[in-house]
Amino acid sequence: MAGPAHPKAMAPPKPGRTRVAPPQMPSSWWSARRIRTYLLFDATGIIYLLIAFLGIRLINALGKGPEAWDAVMESLRNPLYIAFHMLCLVSVVFVGVRFFRLFPKAQPPTIGPVKPPPAAVIHAMLYVAWIGTTALVTAILAGVIF
Amino acid sequence: MRALLLKLEPIIWFMFGQGILIGTMLLTGWILVVGLLIPMGFVDASALSYERAHGLATSWLFGILPIGQLFLAALLVLPLWKGAHHIRSLLIDFGGGERDGVVGGLLYGVALVGSVMAILAVVGL
Repeated sequence: MAGPAHPKAMAPPKPGRTRVAPPQMPSSWWSARRIRTYLLFDATGIIYLLIAFLGIRLINALGKGPEAWDAVMESLRNPLYIAFHMLCLVSVVFVGVRFFRLFPKAQPPTIGPVKPPPAAVIHAMLYVAWIGTTALVTAILAGVIF
Repeated sequence: MRALLLKLEPIIWFMFGQGILIGTMLLTGWILVVGLLIPMGFVDASALSYERAHGLATSWLFGILPIGQLFLAALLVLPLWKGAHHIRSLLIDFGGGERDGVVGGLLYGVALVGSVMAILAVVGL
């Protein structure tokens, strides 16, 4: 009559390293295209933080009076600031395009009793809001309206 | 610190989400005009002379809503939280999660201090 085998019947004679290698992250993990895009999306956080602090500096100057405001606006003509703002514009457009593409996928199947609209509709609504807000803010700040 | 961050996660995620959504929508026009079109001379600087800029920043909608100050507060505060949260995520990717409690706490601390500075600047107009 066959009995149950000894639990260590198949064990190697000497205990050694496990034959299943622990997972190792490849050193070039960041170089895959989709990972690079993901990391760039995260890296825009540095730009957002800097542009917010620059904005605080501008509004502080506005609160101090005309001389401070004129001086801070004059400083923005520096080519370094212009290059920084170009980088900021590229960053916000990149964040907008990527985030608005992901946004419909992040919706729950139902919001209360209501189903969210189809992904294409949400996507279109976001773009209309973004383009509309940008056009309005640009027109106001540039003195086209008001 | 990690336990505190976990407790505050709904608030942090709310501010982060609004930072991406509303922050991006408001920042695009702001960067375009204030950072590029006026400094490069495509729009006359008088569009944001002190009098006009101050008038816009302190304008009211229908006499009940301080729309200029609300706009500026959202423009300055929300991107700080988007920035802090994404830098935290970037640092976890490159440096691991062991120091996440301290790093996250520091970054959200910067966002919090920046938010207070922004609100004080806006209220002081």
